[in-house]
Amino acid sequence: MSAVRWGRGAAGFGRALWPAGAPGLLAEEGALGGVWGRKRSSTASPCEQDRRKDWGHAELLEVLKARVRQLQAEGVAEVTVKRVAKRVAVARAPEAGGAQPPRQAQAGAEGAAPMLSSRWAQKLDDDQRLMERRKQRLEGKLQKHVEKVAWQKQLRSEPRLLSRKLASQLQHWEQGAPRSPWEEQLAQLLQEAPQGWSGEAAAAPADRGPESRLEGQRQRLLSFFECCLLTGNLPLAHHLLVTHHSKSQQQRLLTLSMYNMVMLGWARQGSFKELMYVFFMLKDAGLAPDLRSYAAALQCMGRLDQDAGTIRRCLKQMAQDGLQLQGLFTAVPLSAEERAELLRAVRKAKPAFTPPRPPVPPPQVNTSPLLREIYAKDPTVSYPRLHLSLKELQGLFRQQLRVEMATTVTVESVEKVPLLTKEVLHARKTLAGLRTRWRTALYRELQETKESEAHAAREGRLSLFPYLCLLSEKEIVGLLLQTLQALPAQGESLLFLAHELGLRVFKRKQLRNEVQELEQRYSKYLHLLASDTQVAEPCLPRQHWEALGAPEAPHEQPWPVSVVVQLGKQLAEVLVRAAQMPSSLAAPRSPGTLIPVLYHVYSFRSFRQIGILKPHPAFTQLLETAAERTLTFESTDVPMLCPPLPWTSPHSGAFLLSPTKMMRSVEGSQQHQLLLERCPPAELHGALDALTQLGNCAWRVNGRILDLVLELFTDKGCPRLGVPAPPSEAPRPPEGRQAPKGCLLPEVSPAEKAEMRRELARRLKVAREMQSLRADALYRLSLAQHLRHRVFWLPHNMDFRGRTYPCSPHFNHLGSDLARALLEFAQGRPLGPHGLNWLKIHLVNLTGLKKRESLQARRDYADELMEDILDSADRPMTGRKWWMEADEPWQALACCMEVAQAVRAPDPTAYVSHFPVHQDGSCNGLQHYAALGRDSVGAASVNLLPLDLPQDVYSEVAAQVEVFRRQDAEQGVRVAQVLEGFISRKVVKQTVMTVVYGVTRYGGRLQIEKRLREIHDFPQDFVWEASHYLVRQVFNSLQEMFSGTRSIQRWLTESARLISHTGSAVEWVTPLGIPVIQPYHRDSKVMIKGGLQSLTFSSSVDTSQKPNTLKQKNGFPPNFIHSLDSSHMMLTALHCYRKGLTFVSVHDCFWTHAADVAVMNQVCREQFVRLHSQPILHNLSRFLIKRFCSDPRTSKSIWVSRLMDTLLSVPKAGTFNLEQVKHSTYFFS
Amino acid sequence: MAREEAQRTDDHRVRVQTPPGWSVSLLGRPLTVLGRLRRDGNGSDGKRKMERSFALKSGAVRWMDVPAGNRRGLSDYYPHLMPSVGFGKSSSRVYRCRSETKRYITSPRVAETLVRILRGKRKSCQLFLECNPGPGILTRALLESGAKVIALESDKTFIPQLKSLGKKVNGRLEVVYCDFFKLDPRSRGILTPPIMTSDMLFQYLGIEAQPWSKGAPLKAIGILPPKNERNALWKLLHDLYSCTSVYKYGRVELNLFITEKECRKIMANPQNPGLYQALSVLCQIACGIKLLHTESCLSFGTYTANGQLAKQKHRESLEQNLCFIQLTPHKDLFTGTLTPFNYDVFFHMLRQCFMKRGAKLIDHLHSLSPIDAMHILKQIKKNKDVKVIDMYPEDFQHLFETIECYKDDNYKWLYDDFMEDVII
Repeated sequence: MSAVRWGRGAAGFGRALWPAGAPGLLAEEGALGGVWGRKRSSTASPCEQDRRKDWGHAELLEVLKARVRQLQAEGVAEVTVKRVAKRVAVARAPEAGGAQPPRQAQAGAEGAAPMLSSRWAQKLDDDQRLMERRKQRLEGKLQKHVEKVAWQKQLRSEPRLLSRKLASQLQHWEQGAPRSPWEEQLAQLLQEAPQGWSGEAAAAPADRGPESRLEGQRQRLLSFFECCLLTGNLPLAHHLLVTHHSKSQQQRLLTLSMYNMVMLGWARQGSFKELMYVFFMLKDAGLAPDLRSYAAALQCMGRLDQDAGTIRRCLKQMAQDGLQLQGLFTAVPLSAEERAELLRAVRKAKPAFTPPRPPVPPPQVNTSPLLREIYAKDPTVSYPRLHLSLKELQGLFRQQLRVEMATTVTVESVEKVPLLTKEVLHARKTLAGLRTRWRTALYRELQETKESEAHAAREGRLSLFPYLCLLSEKEIVGLLLQTLQALPAQGESLLFLAHELGLRVFKRKQLRNEVQELEQRYSKYLHLLASDTQVAEPCLPRQHWEALGAPEAPHEQPWPVSVVVQLGKQLAEVLVRAAQMPSSLAAPRSPGTLIPVLYHVYSFRSFRQIGILKPHPAFTQLLETAAERTLTFESTDVPMLCPPLPWTSPHSGAFLLSPTKMMRSVEGSQQHQLLLERCPPAELHGALDALTQLGNCAWRVNGRILDLVLELFTDKGCPRLGVPAPPSEAPRPPEGRQAPKGCLLPEVSPAEKAEMRRELARRLKVAREMQSLRADALYRLSLAQHLRHRVFWLPHNMDFRGRTYPCSPHFNHLGSDLARALLEFAQGRPLGPHGLNWLKIHLVNLTGLKKRESLQARRDYADELMEDILDSADRPMTGRKWWMEADEPWQALACCMEVAQAVRAPDPTAYVSHFPVHQDGSCNGLQHYAALGRDSVGAASVNLLPLDLPQDVYSEVAAQVEVFRRQDAEQGVRVAQVLEGFISRKVVKQTVMTVVYGVTRYGGRLQIEKRLREIHDFPQDFVWEASHYLVRQVFNSLQEMFSGTRSIQRWLTESARLISHTGSAVEWVTPLGIPVIQPYHRDSKVMIKGGLQSLTFSSSVDTSQKPNTLKQKNGFPPNFIHSLDSSHMMLTALHCYRKGLTFVSVHDCFWTHAADVAVMNQVCREQFVRLHSQPILHNLSRFLIKRFCSDPRTSKSIWVSRLMDTLLSVPKAGTFNLEQVKHSTYFFS
Repeated sequence: MAREEAQRTDDHRVRVQTPPGWSVSLLGRPLTVLGRLRRDGNGSDGKRKMERSFALKSGAVRWMDVPAGNRRGLSDYYPHLMPSVGFGKSSSRVYRCRSETKRYITSPRVAETLVRILRGKRKSCQLFLECNPGPGILTRALLESGAKVIALESDKTFIPQLKSLGKKVNGRLEVVYCDFFKLDPRSRGILTPPIMTSDMLFQYLGIEAQPWSKGAPLKAIGILPPKNERNALWKLLHDLYSCTSVYKYGRVELNLFITEKECRKIMANPQNPGLYQALSVLCQIACGIKLLHTESCLSFGTYTANGQLAKQKHRESLEQNLCFIQLTPHKDLFTGTLTPFNYDVFFHMLRQCFMKRGAKLIDHLHSLSPIDAMHILKQIKKNKDVKVIDMYPEDFQHLFETIECYKDDNYKWLYDDFMEDVII
């Protein structure tokens, strides 16, 4: 109340407030002390509150501001009141202002001199009383308020300017403010040309090393400021900005965007004085304000309803700086409210101004020749629709929304239900009790941690305080308890745990919150997909979505890894400190003291020491006994329950609320994101649409297979079929880690003891491995069970080469045979005339037999075996079990069931099948190489040529190797003679397959050696020599058959080597327009000190480091080929979509309905031809020359000229006629 | 991505499996087998790499043999750990130099001194196992004194020379192409001589295992490889405590040349805290250590891998002394609580304690055992401020025994054999 009185008293400070001689700090304290003493303590509030209101009387301020707004509407004495508000804020802040003791607080000494209209004074009083009551209620919860207030008091807000001229200006501004309208000073300030005062920073073009270090620190600072803004800790951000600014060493770290960010914060609050401080500092640092700076200033003026003259001057200055007024509305991201304020300010100066229409960018059209057909307008196209009605889909959307808002999903485990014995119930009760206790302890620890971090921030250190405020305490506590629950018995490395925790916080804070808007837009979007709705003209999901509203706001930058790890470590430490349990759990006899649940132990690997957090074995035991049957997943780790959002930009798409990156990348690397953002949006359309389309495929669980698997799973498992056995099946160590009986007896010799130890170790190891396999399967099956009877979607994103992956890690179609067999299309298609045949062929493909037979022969084979197939389908576990012998048993079984149902249907052609049929590329990597090099021989062996029977490149390489071997054997080479009769497809297969992806001779030899060891009658003495010989021959054979391939590989490798030597990472653009960069750099070390232990880790994605030449060059050929195969897949996906097909892929394995296989194959072949008809290598060469050789500064470098030479000599292509691919039946089969 | 590479190296290690058919019986005459391998050992890269990795791995560490696929599915999305400097200087990637220099006894005077020390006035036919005799100066001296010698030479170039030496002494010299310090590599790789298992070697030599309580079956003489003395020592200690490798055949007595620096370290105790470390404790607990002789480095010849006499470059190494020490395993090493069954916990305890040697013991105890640390300290009669470097080797042994025999708790150690497996 006194504050208000004081404020009211100060209403007239226009004149009275600024005596010439500024009183010192003491006087001010004295003046304030009596008035503020008690109240001050009441302003501190518990954390949720003070997240937003750190700085003294922010709450009061808000009330005042609200009142001001109201008053403005009523047209009463507005300016005066506004100033009151401002002064109140300012007076609180700079009491410890350091260099320039603030004077304005003097205001407090002014007694009460009510000059305001009594009407609104009454209102203020009422408000004040209300607030007072609220505060008193909060007061009860307060513990440390006094200290808090103390540190808030010390936050510094006034800049210490390094430029004398500016400093005097600032002083002049402050003192002169009352007389000459202080706003004018802004204009004056603006006219000052940005002066490069900060000589050292600008003049010294710092060398690479320190510069990169600075870059890392800048990232940290920026993310700190960002977090402060998000959590309402603006004064803290300001404080840090000021402290950094006042030290020239630290000032170098500050960038324009940091000043802008803090200014924006003040602008939002309408605090002009602080904004001006920042503006002074910005100038002082020698930076030139940009659009964002002006936008912030103008916004603030709008909020304060500044007079037109000031604004006009400001606009004028902006024009002089060469910035467009329009740009404020187009280039600066603004919320609707901010926009309105900004517009208000601008309109004051230019009443006629109309902002440019919010970006309705001209419909950008992708220009890639490959995609011309996809984006051709054609009203007759019928894109596929889902089988669900609009209403159903809307219901699904709401379900998914609920899931994502809850952030976690609890799924019932499929593990066998334990008998609810007394023991189990007791354990559960104990656990529940412990959890309650931990929750309280965690709250307490967390608050203490926050306090100490806040303390650190006050001292000008980049502490974790704002990060800790991002999530509510309840959320963090929940997260930590979940972590504790999921900690494996053998512990988890602290680094990993910290990283994981930090990332989770980051991901959760990103959740967007405009749910309503989203719901409306999504609902409209569904009209495109639902079975019972119409849209005006057929279009792609992305186009439809874009037509429905403005593009998304730009995403936030990820935090530097060091911040992520540091935050996670802090949280892990909180957990370690808080989690305790009674010692009686561990040792029944010991008295009831508390012991920790988590232990920080060390492990040694090689010469590294690794810190591990490990739960007390008794706790693990307790969890095991309680056998709770729930699993908790992050909502983003589970498939979606409604169609994902279409991808519209590199950072928006997939999940409804949790932002997902289109390009997944190594954590901490930003280069891919930067590259994608720089890329014109239309260039990415191909990738965006392909990813959207893959994610739009609706799935369901194959219930019958799931039943069978679960039956095995809850019983004894069946490792042969990929169902892991329960731990009870593992060879049990006798008594935990304890010595078996008799082991410690003296009569047992040491050597025997050593033997026992080895045996024990072996068993433990087997048990551990089984456990991890089991856990993996448990997640997958539990999710499958959870999703049974539902329709779900697997949103996709891609890696840096464009290969696509489902976002949800545990349950997707990318996994093993078992995982794939559990899934089928939710949407069915009648088999049609050929569908049944394709099912049969697919079944034979799955068995792995008849690989070199024609399609007809495979079909006949299936007919021959029909009895076995039907038997498998009807009695999978009790019958003849034909399916179990297949290469992919579970998928084969599912296929058997589908075939059985189809043949038994009254009309097989009308049978509606949900079963996905796959077509595999035969050695897809080599197919691309053969097409690139137009190798005739190679092309024939990888089925690019239409032939009657499928060719098998592995057999052919084996045959070629055999030819060489025979020659050598005749010449008396011993090893060649020994190898007679042992060279088979199997021996060379793995090496041939991986050669495309850059396997070296060394790796190849190991692969072959392994194969040779598996052959029992091979003389094992010769293994080493023979494998050495064979790998040489395999490489020679490949050289012979794919002459083009090797030269292309060499060309790519050499180019990459030279590019890397010029100091850049290799970059290229895929034929579809996705920019690719290889994120391989030399390691940079990051160290995080303090706390439990110092964590050191290295990161290879630090772009300020030189590229890692070895990886750049070895990685280029395979990555380039992958970028081609992903382009091919995306093209096929898009064209299939246009033809109305369901299509999904696992890299080079394409899936669709049985009825559509023929169409898909045709599209697939056509697109392969289209893709390779482009001059891919020449385009690459041109791009690389432009990118790496066109900089005049480096053109003299020897590396650049060599690179130029290399790039210009593109390998010559052979004579293979690509068109033939179109007729090759076995291209993908 | 860097992790990926690390994993790849792991894979190499994993993929090489012990050949199923490779057993001692198959060897017949190992020397013929050796001959073959010598023939094809023509500098192939693969093999050399493997050898090197053995050299590293046969150090103190138990590395992972879990196939990469079974390990925790950590993708390359995670930062990976940096080696933090522990006790050896060698980190797995650094060790790349092609030629491994070795020291050899080249001075007849030194050889004579050694024979005098080793043989005393005995005239009986004693069995010596000489590791890397090189030019054979000491071998000759030993033979002349009437002893029986088995020469394990890891450098092929010396073998013909040694064999010719053997012809004159009537079967008292056996030459084997074998590297003593790399016997029984822990990764079960393909073994190509000079890497072999001790079983192969001992069976070939016809040496029977002797019970631990009996005396030494043989005396080994050698010079620790100068580049990685510590690794070699760690390996020997592991073998000793686990009663494997040569120690499976009894309490083999080692007579080793070791640099003076290392020698002082392994003999250190709290009285010279600067040198005191985990190795000191382990050595002193396991063996009786006797310093027999000190000799300047100058008296030795240094050869590179292909048998070339190398110039000694570093002044430092010239001024250094080598100590000739005798390590005799204690007869009663395994009669107490410490056995080959639980020695790894003891190792882990010491490694961890000496990571922060200046810290209080109580702080380490928190990371070692869930048992109340104060209680443990009371039992071993130490006060709560006792530091790691204040503890004598016997104190450590006592500490270990106290915890291992603790009655009240079901869980005595936090250490877990497989902790190493689960981590990145």
